[in-house]
Order: sequence, then structure tokens, then C-alpha cells
Amino acid sequence: MHKLKANRTFILGIIFVSIVVGLCFISFLYLPHDPNKMNTTERFLMPNPEYLLGTDQFGRDIFSRIMVSTRYALLVGIVSVTAGAIVGITLGALAGIAQKFLQSLIMRIIDGLMAFPGMLLALMFVAVLGKGLGNAVLAIAIFMIPSFARLAYSLVIDQKNELYVKAARSLGANRWYIVRKHILPAMLPRLITQWSSSIGSAILLESSLSFLGLGVQPPNASLGLMLSEAQQFTLTNPYIAIPPGIVLVIAILGFNLIGDGLNDSIVERRSAK
Amino acid sequence: MIRYIIKRLFSGLVVLFIVSFITFYILSIIPGDTALMRLGTEATPELVAQLRASMGLDLPWYERYIHWIGAFLRGDWGESLVFGEDVFTLILQRLPVTITLAALSLLIAIPIATIMGVVSAIYQNRWIDYVARTLMQIGEAVPQFWLALIFLVVFAGQLGWFPVAGYVPFEEGMLDSLHSLLLPAIVISFGLIGILIRIIRSSMLTALQQDFMLMPKVNGLPGKTAIFKYAFRSALIAPVTTVMMQLAGLLTGTVLVESIFALPGIGRLLLVAVEQRDILLLQGLVMFITATVVLINFLADILYRFINPLIRLGGEESA
Repeated sequence: MHKLKANRTFILGIIFVSIVVGLCFISFLYLPHDPNKMNTTERFLMPNPEYLLGTDQFGRDIFSRIMVSTRYALLVGIVSVTAGAIVGITLGALAGIAQKFLQSLIMRIIDGLMAFPGMLLALMFVAVLGKGLGNAVLAIAIFMIPSFARLAYSLVIDQKNELYVKAARSLGANRWYIVRKHILPAMLPRLITQWSSSIGSAILLESSLSFLGLGVQPPNASLGLMLSEAQQFTLTNPYIAIPPGIVLVIAILGFNLIGDGLNDSIVERRSAK
Repeated sequence: MIRYIIKRLFSGLVVLFIVSFITFYILSIIPGDTALMRLGTEATPELVAQLRASMGLDLPWYERYIHWIGAFLRGDWGESLVFGEDVFTLILQRLPVTITLAALSLLIAIPIATIMGVVSAIYQNRWIDYVARTLMQIGEAVPQFWLALIFLVVFAGQLGWFPVAGYVPFEEGMLDSLHSLLLPAIVISFGLIGILIRIIRSSMLTALQQDFMLMPKVNGLPGKTAIFKYAFRSALIAPVTTVMMQLAGLLTGTVLVESIFALPGIGRLLLVAVEQRDILLLQGLVMFITATVVLINFLADILYRFINPLIRLGGEESA
């Protein structure tokens, strides 16, 4: 019974993510209209057979723009989280097996990074590096480092005292070998869970930065940017703010649900032991 | 306990020191010459060099760091490039708006999230649990800026219940001022409710499975009494600290909402500093916000230990 429920969350997440990934893949093969082509005679159209989701303030096809936007959302989400995860896990694992001095040095720096609430670190990096997609990816990647480092650190500390690790050590295996061959595989489920939910927050952060005009730059389409451009027209033409928002929610919700579903199954497996 | 407080205070200060270092270092690599920016492009090279020397810009970065942190500790946070005003004064001016906004959103979020979280844990896997969990997922996934746009259209535009944008200062009437902040606060509380339901629900679920919950059952106490007398009390310990930490995040979480509703708070100030590359203002804001975060985390930790009898009576636990 329990298993089924955990899976339901997971399956729903997979469905949502598939929608977004599907839109992204199709966008490379086929787009109903040129996403950047303006047509002032066809502004603010409601959905119709020609423009499936209507047109925006410049007469651009909203559906095509959304399809192109999903590329950025997924690119930023996956690339920044993966990069942040690799650096974070390495640092955390290093701190976990290192001597006292190095351990506390790394963890204090991580604590320092953690003291910056979400947006602040990203905003600071954008201020330094300048606006744009690449810099947004870098800023989000750095933002992801501390949470992965923390998780990896605590997992390594946990695993270090497990019997099988002690056994490997008494057989003369060196520390990095143990981490790679024994500890990392044992940590993998938790790390994948964290990875998935982090992609959700990365997509949210990217769209927030783009909404503030600091991420993806016009005329390119990003979900956050589309909403930002829609902002001044919302009171007169509220419709154009709806489709990009819904796709954004589907993308974030999808990755969050996958993370939750995975987490539930880990918790169950542990309690079943 | 006192030993723990001192230890914790010390590590808080270390974190702050590292934060100041990271902040200073990152912001010192910003391209562009502050002296040149201040004087404009018409300035002669001699004049620029003179101002650079007087601002200490020609010193190596670690000497500049020592100068800066020294002035910072004395309360001299420099002058904002954009506003031409003292950074510390600027922050203090904007603070009330953000704090009121944060307090209002917590005031809305906490009761709703507590009720939903507790009820959904008690009736786990029943329909009410699904409602709470759906609310939790949606709260976490819906971007604040999108919700703000939708709410603006519906509640301010169509229904006309709230002003579309703008802020009424406290001096022009308490109620009007709160009214102008209510819609933004509801938007912020939406996300908070999501996070808080998750924490309260899981903490309540854990409490309900504890051994101490068997005792009242054995003694024949009705289920509901036991739940509220024992589980509820123990379940609320963890969320108290999380709520406090959320408060810290709220300081920056308001950036988007403040910019959409045109509220003159810390978030807007931060955005201006980022867009205009107003380094001193940005430095001041980052230090102010992170110091608040570190302070709140410190207080949350102490409070956690104080209200948790297991830790309070069980002596020192190695941190």
C-alpha cells in the first residue's frame, strides 16, 4: 500500500517532467512559428487553431516561445545543479575523510556560503559577472554547492563507521578507494534525490533571475522573461501571463515530485530493514 | 548551556568573518573603476589617481579589506553611489517595510501551516492529508512572481480589493499601510505555507510514532487528548527553529515581490544595488542580511536547546 503511494508521487513527477522534456525535444525538430518573429497586426490573440496558445504583446506565438524556453529551463537546471553537485560532493566527501584541520576549514567555508540566503548569492554573482545566461548558470551552480557538500559530508561521516567500511580499511584499502568504491555507491540514492529536487529550485531561480532581467536576455525566450515582459500588460491582457506560468509550475513541480517520490522510497527501504 | 552558547557564538563570529571575506573578495573583482565611475569620463588621469589614492583603491586587496572591515565595525559603511547617502542609513530607512512584510506573511502562514500540517499527520493518507500535501507541493512549486501577477490581476485589478501597487507609509495611517502590504504578504505566505506544512507534518508524524505516545493509550486517555498533550508539544520543537530560519530567508525572498508591488524595502534596494553595481551599497546589504541570518540561526539554535528538554536536561551534546 505504502509502496504504491510513494510511487504515485514519483510517477506524477515523471509525467510532468516528460511533458517539459518532450516540449524541449520537439522544439529542436519542429516549431509551429518562429518564436522571435513579431507581427504587430496579430497582437494579444487568444488561443486559436493557428496560434495554439495565442500571441503576446508583439504578436509572437506564445506556444513556440514556451517550447524554446523549456530548453533554457532544462539546460540551466541540469547543468548548474550537476556542476554544483560535483563540486559540493567532492568538497563534502573530502571534509568527511580529511584530518581535523582541513575538515573544519572546508566546513566553515561551506557554513559561510550557507549564510547567504538563496537569491542573495545569485544576485551578488550577477552583479560581479554581469547579466546573461552563462553567468546565471554559474551563479546557480555556486548556490548549489553548500547543500550538496553538507549532505555528502554527513553521509560520509555516517558511512565511515559502518562495519563494511571498517573491514575494507583493515584490509588496507586507501581512503579515496573506499570513498569511490564503497561510500559513494551507498550515498547515491540520497544524492540523486537531492539532485532532482535541486533542479526544481534551480529552474525557479533561473526564472526569477530572468524575471528581474538578470538572466536570459531578450529577444530570447525564457519562461521568467516572458512573464516579466507580460507584467506591464497583465492588467489589460491577463491571459498572456498564464501559459508560461503554468509550464514553469509543471517543470518545477515535476522535479520536486520526483525528488519526493525517491525520498519516500528511501525512507521506506530504511524502515523495512 | 553557557559553554554551549559561548562556543556557538564563537562559531557564528567565524562564519561572519568568512562571509565578510567572501563578500569583499567577490565584489572586489567587479570590473570597472569606482574612482572613474564617480568622477565621470571627463576627469583627468591625475584627478582619478588622486581620488583612487584617497579612497585607498591603489592598495593591495588585503589592506583594503582590513580598512573596510575596520570602518564597517565602526559603523562607517560608506556612501551609496546611486543614492549619494550613507549606506547604513539607507538600509535602516528601508528595513521597516520589509520587516512588516515578513511579519505579516509569517502571521498568515504559521496558523494555516500548523493546522494543515498537524491535521494531515493525524489523518495520514486520508483525503485531508492529500489536500494538505497538494497545497504543500503547489506552495513550493509556484513562483512568487507569477503568483504576484495573478493576484494583482484578480484581487487588485478585477475585484479592486487592494491597491495595484505602491506603498502607504506608516505615518499616513497604520491600517492603510497594512492594507497596502497585505496582498504582497499573502503572496509570500503562499510559499511559506508549502515549506512549513512539510516540516510540521513530518515532525508530527515522527512524534506520533514515538514510544511515549503508547503510555497515554495504555492509561486509557482519549486519542485526541494524547495527541495534543504530548505529540503536538514535542512535534513543534523542530519547526520553531525552521520558522526562524525562514525569517532570515525572507529578507531576500522579498526581492521579487517588492519589485512587482513597488514597495520601498530591502529587496528593492538590493536589486538597485545589483543593477547599478553600487558596490558599497551591495556590500553593506550583503553583510547586513548575512549577519541577520547568522544571528537568527544562533538564536534558533539556543532556543531549540532551551525548549527541548531532552537536550536541556541531558547535558552537552557534541555539536
